[in-house]
Amino acid sequence: MTGNQRPGRIVIGTLGLDQHEVGAMAISQFLVRQGYEVIYLGRFNTPERLAAVAEQEDADLIGVSVHSWEFLAYADELVARCRDLGIGLVLGGSVLTDRDQADLIARGADAVFGPYAHEAAMLQQIDAIVHRVRAGDAATHPLGTKDAGLPGPLAGRVVIVTGAARGLGRAYTLELCRQGAAVVASDVDEAALEEVAGAVRDVPGSVHAQACDITDSDAPRLLLRTALGRYGQLHGLVSNAGLLRSGPILRLDDDDLRLLLDVHVTASFRLLRVIGGYWRAEARAGRAVDAAVVLTTSSAGLYGFRAEAAYSAAKAAVAMLARVGADELGRYGATVNAIAPVARTRLTEWLGERTGDPADDPLAAEHIAPVIAWLLRPGARDVTGRVLEAGNGQISVPGTWQPGTRFPLPPLMSPAAADALLPRVLASATPSAALLTSLLDPAGLSDALR
Amino acid sequence: MTDYEAPGLAGTTAAGIPLRPFYRPDGSSRDQGTLADPGTYPFTRGRLRPPDARPRGWIQRELSGEGSPRRSNQQLRALLADGALGVDVIGDNPTVSALDPDHPMCAPAVGTTGVSLCRKQDFIELLAGLPLDRMTLSHSLPPAFALAGQYLAGPANGIDPKVMRGSAIQAPIYSEDCCYSTFLPFAMRMRLSLDSIVFSLREMPRFHAFLEDTYYISDGGLNAVEEMSLGLLEIREVCRRLLARGLPVDSFAPRIAILVNCRMDLFEEIAKIRATRRLFARMMREEFGATDPRSWSANIAVHTSGLTLTAAQPANNIVRGALQAMAMAMAGVQGLEISTFDEPFRTPSAIAHQLAIRTQQVIQAETNIGAVEDPLGGSYYVESLTDELERRIDAAVRQVEELGDVDTLVESGYFRRILTGAMDRHSSAVQNGELRIVGVNEHTISPEADRFLRDIAEERFEPDYAHVERIRSWRASRRDAPLQASLERVRDASADPAADLMAPIIAALDADATIGEITSCLREGQGLPGDPFEYAARRLPAGTRP
Repeated sequence: MTGNQRPGRIVIGTLGLDQHEVGAMAISQFLVRQGYEVIYLGRFNTPERLAAVAEQEDADLIGVSVHSWEFLAYADELVARCRDLGIGLVLGGSVLTDRDQADLIARGADAVFGPYAHEAAMLQQIDAIVHRVRAGDAATHPLGTKDAGLPGPLAGRVVIVTGAARGLGRAYTLELCRQGAAVVASDVDEAALEEVAGAVRDVPGSVHAQACDITDSDAPRLLLRTALGRYGQLHGLVSNAGLLRSGPILRLDDDDLRLLLDVHVTASFRLLRVIGGYWRAEARAGRAVDAAVVLTTSSAGLYGFRAEAAYSAAKAAVAMLARVGADELGRYGATVNAIAPVARTRLTEWLGERTGDPADDPLAAEHIAPVIAWLLRPGARDVTGRVLEAGNGQISVPGTWQPGTRFPLPPLMSPAAADALLPRVLASATPSAALLTSLLDPAGLSDALR
Repeated sequence: MTDYEAPGLAGTTAAGIPLRPFYRPDGSSRDQGTLADPGTYPFTRGRLRPPDARPRGWIQRELSGEGSPRRSNQQLRALLADGALGVDVIGDNPTVSALDPDHPMCAPAVGTTGVSLCRKQDFIELLAGLPLDRMTLSHSLPPAFALAGQYLAGPANGIDPKVMRGSAIQAPIYSEDCCYSTFLPFAMRMRLSLDSIVFSLREMPRFHAFLEDTYYISDGGLNAVEEMSLGLLEIREVCRRLLARGLPVDSFAPRIAILVNCRMDLFEEIAKIRATRRLFARMMREEFGATDPRSWSANIAVHTSGLTLTAAQPANNIVRGALQAMAMAMAGVQGLEISTFDEPFRTPSAIAHQLAIRTQQVIQAETNIGAVEDPLGGSYYVESLTDELERRIDAAVRQVEELGDVDTLVESGYFRRILTGAMDRHSSAVQNGELRIVGVNEHTISPEADRFLRDIAEERFEPDYAHVERIRSWRASRRDAPLQASLERVRDASADPAADLMAPIIAALDADATIGEITSCLREGQGLPGDPFEYAARRLPAGTRP
């Protein structure tokens, strides 16, 4: 649950004469720890009783733990009663087979959890159902038939997004949730972060806000603990937090230089080390890791930006972190890529004010978010160590450093020999792309690369 | 990153006893030379037996019961034909709740998780043609009714109740809070237990009238210390009340048996059984003053844990069951039931039943494990663990007894909190990986790849609606006057705290009253609504939060 809303409220019990309440008890305690209010009805319930208590207690949904086949006889009545009340219905239990799950969803249950369900995934779906019920959708649409009821491509994925309060991070968070992910959203600006959390509704995913300063050396551990504490697992990281300290070399002081390196390079490195360590432990324990990291570089880091030497150098370092990190974390089941976004954000205020609908604005951050989501999708093993440059209506994979034509290097070369050799070596090189003077120069950029 | 190092093996047993890397002499009973031989007090190393007798092995049985009594009878015959030496009959959800199949809450549950039993004729059909004098019949059923039913069905099948063998689970303290809720108040449950024990001692003297079942209470997640301390607590409470009725301890103590759980920490489970034999012997001799050695020696059967079985990769459960059964053979138990590999999905399928019996047979016939008593006796580790478990179980019993009388603890929900707390603890340990379970929180495979044996495990059958109809139409055919008179006597007996309940219950069952009707009268005699659902709703008011 997020923001200042009252906690989600759920009626939990077993049906009929099913005497086993291990599952009902466990999920109740889990939800209570996650901030839910549980009205626990124990055993020997009928759909009528569950619905009556749900109505009396103003519950958002009914959860039924299933340990016997009696649910088959009660499912339709339960669905009908929940629809009448405009509340959600969730069933769970190890006797529920894949076929049962599909069948119960088709009959109108909002979510069904079989023996493979993980707490994180259950929580995420329950959060989403509560949001829908609160939004009043349940009353107008039969639950379970709406798009929001379908798990998105990122359903069950838990992702940390840093710098999530504004701009790109905000757009990423909303899109990941739209696609079903559970996002631990982090930013130094707590108020703005809460606003983002509040904006996530009517989507299959959910968000948990965790404010922190990413340059704090404990921040990566805090975020990992939050993700594991809240969702029990972690599949992705979008290291997006960034800032700009502008100035030519001769003017940029130590404080600004340190801040640039801390936010972009050191923080990304620490996140890789801490979260990579968790994935390594998972892999060593025999659990399949299917994880993805997206770091944030910049066109400035790839081509250089005029008068932004420090920022460009920091972003170049991040691109190389992605390349080497991909090799290191790949062995534990994680991919590492970097995005170079071209978008209108606080760092690019000089691009002018954002206007209107993002669909009409090629520089809107929203256009980049689906790329991030794609990199985080389950099973995205094949793409790693890559940098993608995206925005302003274009997407590409920029060229990377390549070895040049190799000339023999004479031992203990004389100055005269150097004068003769080095111009030849330099002449053989592919010309560098021109330094950027504006991010809105894609034509010049591609010319320079050609 | 020391936080996320790969897990090593646990540094404690499942019940939290710290483990050393290896064991050496450490002052255990073994090292002090006080470890008595098998068959001698305090029976740590094995139950009472004739001197120099070879070990006799154990009674191989399986949990059974499915559909109507006739269908279950076929299932029991199939198990016996496969070589089972006993059977454990469990009722379906209505039957264990003491409700009739045609009660409005029951139809969807009839026969799907056990056998449907509600009248004398059902018991006669269930037991038809079974050699009740040679096999053992364990009841996982409400005990007073199971004993009454068997008592009436035996002679109908030509068997004298005096020679019938088996056991009836008596669970007066915990049943309502766990899996055998019959919607009766504690005082009534205790009366039914005491009366049915007294009845069985008199009329079915070869029967174990008091089976203390620590399996069902512990399979929500209690550890071995909690399991045995609660079990011994219930034994002590029932014994004190039998003594208070004037029964000599040696008249009933030999007819007590214990059905325990076996989880996956195998040495702890073995040590638990050895410690329990010792604790039981000391308790009977030193506290209750028993003088007959048969009173001191605990008869222990075991049911391997269903909670340790997984819905993921069900074939792994076959391995788990075999390992647990092997450990229990080494612990020297008197009876053994393996939870079948399809347990996470359903009551046992025929093939799973046969496989479980075969597992026991392979262990007994091929491994020679049972040829020598207490083969692990004298192991530094096992003896140290046995001593430690004895100490911890004993301390836990004393601790609860110091809290006050059991009636108050039951009514205040003390035991329920222990049981539900354990469920939550278990679930958290599985989710966070602290309790390692192969195929669940490590070494997992995708659901698509996990198909082996799933089709068998996921097979369904319909509730036995035909049996519901059979009972409904039979009801009208009964002779009403004797029926009503017999039920009136049950109601009167219930209202009189000094009255015996077994005689009126047997008379009512014999007059074709159903178990549901009799239980309603028991409630009405106590001033409670006859229909349990009004009672249950009052007992668990809406808004009860864990």
